[in-house]
Amino acid sequence: MPPDQTNLLQGTLDMMILKSLALTEMHGLGIARRIEQITKGTFQVKPGSLFPSLHRMEEEGWLTSTWGESENNRRAKYYKLTGSGRRQLETETKRWGRISLAIARALETS
Amino acid sequence: MRALPHLTSFLRNLFRRKQADQDLDEEVRSYVALLTEEKIAVGMSREQARRQARIELGGLEQVKEQVRDNRAGAWFDSLLLDVRYALRMLRKAPGFTTVAVLTLALGIGANTAIFTMTNGLMLHTLPVRDPGQIVELLHHYPGEPEPGFNGFSWDAYQTIREGNHVFSDLIVGAVNFFTVSADNLQPQTVFGGAVGGTFFQALGVRAAAGRLIGPEDVYMGDHAPVAVVSWSFWKSRFDFDPRVIGKKIVIDDAPVTIVGVAQRGFYGLSYEAQQDIWWPISLGPSPGWGFGLLARLKPGVSLEQARAEMAVLSQTVVNAPDAGPFVRQMKLRIEPAANGVTTPLSQMLSTPLTVLMATVGLLLLLACANLAGLLLARGASRQHEMAVRACLGAPRARLLRQTLTESLLLSLVGCAVGIFVAYFAAHALIRVFASGRFIVGAPVHFEALTNPDAHVLLFTLAIALLTGLLCGAAPAMSASNTIPASALQQASRIGESKSRRLFGKGLVASQVALSLVLMSSAGLFVEDLRQLRNLNLGFERNKLLLVTLDFAHGGYDAAHFSRLSQELVMRLDAIPGVNSATFSNMSPMEGPAASSFASAEDHPEKQTQVFINYVAPAYFETYGTPFLAGRDFSARDQAGSSVAIINETAARDCFGNENPIGRHITLSHITLTKGERTYEVVGVVRDAKYNDLEQAAPPTIYPDLLQQGYVGSQHSQLAIRTRTDPGGIVGAVRQTEASVLKTVPIVRTITMNEQIDSTIVPQRLIAMLSAAFGALAALLAAIGLYGLLAFTIARRTHEIGVRMALGAAATDVMRIVLRGALWMVCAGLAIGAPLAFWGKRVAASLIPGLPAASPLPIAVAAAIMIAVGLIAAYLPARRAMRVDPMVALRHE
Repeated sequence: MPPDQTNLLQGTLDMMILKSLALTEMHGLGIARRIEQITKGTFQVKPGSLFPSLHRMEEEGWLTSTWGESENNRRAKYYKLTGSGRRQLETETKRWGRISLAIARALETS
Repeated sequence: MRALPHLTSFLRNLFRRKQADQDLDEEVRSYVALLTEEKIAVGMSREQARRQARIELGGLEQVKEQVRDNRAGAWFDSLLLDVRYALRMLRKAPGFTTVAVLTLALGIGANTAIFTMTNGLMLHTLPVRDPGQIVELLHHYPGEPEPGFNGFSWDAYQTIREGNHVFSDLIVGAVNFFTVSADNLQPQTVFGGAVGGTFFQALGVRAAAGRLIGPEDVYMGDHAPVAVVSWSFWKSRFDFDPRVIGKKIVIDDAPVTIVGVAQRGFYGLSYEAQQDIWWPISLGPSPGWGFGLLARLKPGVSLEQARAEMAVLSQTVVNAPDAGPFVRQMKLRIEPAANGVTTPLSQMLSTPLTVLMATVGLLLLLACANLAGLLLARGASRQHEMAVRACLGAPRARLLRQTLTESLLLSLVGCAVGIFVAYFAAHALIRVFASGRFIVGAPVHFEALTNPDAHVLLFTLAIALLTGLLCGAAPAMSASNTIPASALQQASRIGESKSRRLFGKGLVASQVALSLVLMSSAGLFVEDLRQLRNLNLGFERNKLLLVTLDFAHGGYDAAHFSRLSQELVMRLDAIPGVNSATFSNMSPMEGPAASSFASAEDHPEKQTQVFINYVAPAYFETYGTPFLAGRDFSARDQAGSSVAIINETAARDCFGNENPIGRHITLSHITLTKGERTYEVVGVVRDAKYNDLEQAAPPTIYPDLLQQGYVGSQHSQLAIRTRTDPGGIVGAVRQTEASVLKTVPIVRTITMNEQIDSTIVPQRLIAMLSAAFGALAALLAAIGLYGLLAFTIARRTHEIGVRMALGAAATDVMRIVLRGALWMVCAGLAIGAPLAFWGKRVAASLIPGLPAASPLPIAVAAAIMIAVGLIAAYLPARRAMRVDPMVALRHE
């Protein structure tokens, strides 16, 4: 069992997915693993929240998907950031920066 | 732009669902495969890896479901599911569905039909600037139909124009028929108006082409030879030809030039009597009452203020030094005209439509209660299903939505069928209206009353949704309140809470109550009609044929007419089946009246208003009105001095107790004209109704038609008393007439009974429809009661079995069921009776002369409801009686 079961907020998960796709296109499992990796295992993304998120963001037009070959020659669906997805990531990042700063300050003063 | 990707994915999800689902399935499977390989790579066995991957995934279907719930249009998916499920449930119960849809279709259809007419007749706002400020001026004589007539003398017009402080404009706009012809246009009758110079400007109507009529076109004693046509006239007769401006046409023999087309959509002053042509009125004193008046209230002036001032002006008009005795009885009125001016049709129908609107509203409420009851009973039998669904994880809101979807679906289907019902009902009703006197030949735009417009469709949709919610609410609440555990345990047996049972009974009782209200008011209206039809009219109404002749273009002089008419009467008398025939200037109940003021020779100062009908010899014999004194006219009278016959009221009013025979009576102000005529009274006849069924016979004088040399009237009435059905001799009468009076066309033939019916269209309409609605109400209540009992007894089979096993006889069981039914009916009657009494009072306040004092209709309606209730209860009761205890108990 993972040590810390953090329940990711919807928006935060979206942001993490966008972030993990910022460099290259990836399939679902790749994204999950990438998020685990960059959070050093703090966040474990379950398929039950990953796929709804991916499909919703695709409908929003932030991602596009294509079928491709995985590293070990399996068919897998690859997701890629679109222009508007990139803009969304920027907005989310800025927003998150403001929020975390505000929370950090609040916690310091108390 | 953000909406676009949503919309495309919504449409994709909707139409390419299968592919999207396959895609998703493949994607999730590939995820599992990748995960498995990852685990094999770290050293798990293939079997173990696959198992572990599955566990981490947490269920293939669940993941897919979560994705689907997040897709654009997920709500739509579940709605579709609900609808599909509801459709399946309804298809599985065709009997229930048919009854429910028919109930709703009749309820909604009746509402739509009546609303279509109310909308067409009363709710169309005039297409003018600030219609709320527009009022119409009416004059009203005692005893004439409410609210009155729009027509004023030149003097009255002057008084109102000079004396008022409340109108920013006084608009002259008479409505009239014109015969319009042109070079390439057949002569045709067009409804239009002679308007004052400020008509268009004050109403705020602009020209679509050319110019409109202005003050420069109107002068004293004459007017400019110009005319303006409506947009629709321009379209239908001139096909939008721009050369219509400057076109020469002939209106009523006067050549005029069309100078303009009114703005699109301007139809004059009434939606159901649309005007197509306007020309200037000529100002100046005229004998008639040709000035139709509208006014625009000054900003900030209320209707009450205007009425107060009109009361003062009314006095000035009535007390003018040269006002005749007619004018002295007159009252001036102001009515708001934002929705159009008073027309014969609106005058005739506004009260019936108000009454009927209330009636159909109650009917719909009853249909709702009925359907709610049926749905509730069905809901109870589906408790088990609901419990299973709740156990499988359906949230409460979802169950609620499912049940509501079913009732809304029913109401929408009912609405669709109802619109058809309404369309045909409206057409059927129009035929009744169209038979009304003053309506025959009037320019009524009947499509306005039958064709649903956007307002009507919205109204119908709104009541359909409301109905669906209303009758679905209780069943939905009760379905979603199902407690799974107890329902699953008990559903097979009793499983109906006390409160729900009470609610179901309450619904039946309320249906009985509403039926009582509807049936008793129907009884009231039908009784009113029956009394009207059985009134003593003072003449014999059956087997009397009336033939209207048009002498306008016959070219006969008085002597000629007199000779030919006597010849015609003689030849008609010879037709087999004819008892007698006669001529008169008008026939009773026909419509336009003639009246004057009479004074007896010894009392010239005492003026009595009397009504006039010029009649030929044998008039009273033909109509069946007995002589009380004196004699009928004879051929000898034609050479002698003027003679007349009077009725007993006129004799009493003019001569008191003295014998009027041989005395003289002088008429003045004969229908608004000046001059006098003196007659010798030769006979007194019994009173007969003159023009209105509901009013007592007025004082009436009958001068000798032949003696008058009376060809002045355009129309004359031939009355023929037959021994058999008058319809059978129409052909022979036409032939005879054509051979004697070659140039005089027959305008119409009608029986006296039909003519009487044409005067009571509102009463017929209300009686006919309320009787139909009352019967429908009783039927619905019976269905409601039957449904509830049938359902309860099916549930109580076990209990009844026990009772019978313990020794209850079949008749005891029957008694229990019938007693239960009777209780519900009586409770309904107890609730309904005060409502019915109240409804009766409301109806009596709307319709004067209603026999509202009698409690009979309510008693009869209650008796009918009890009988209907017992019949509806008998079938299920018989089924209960036949319960075999052994079978019922083994049923467990």
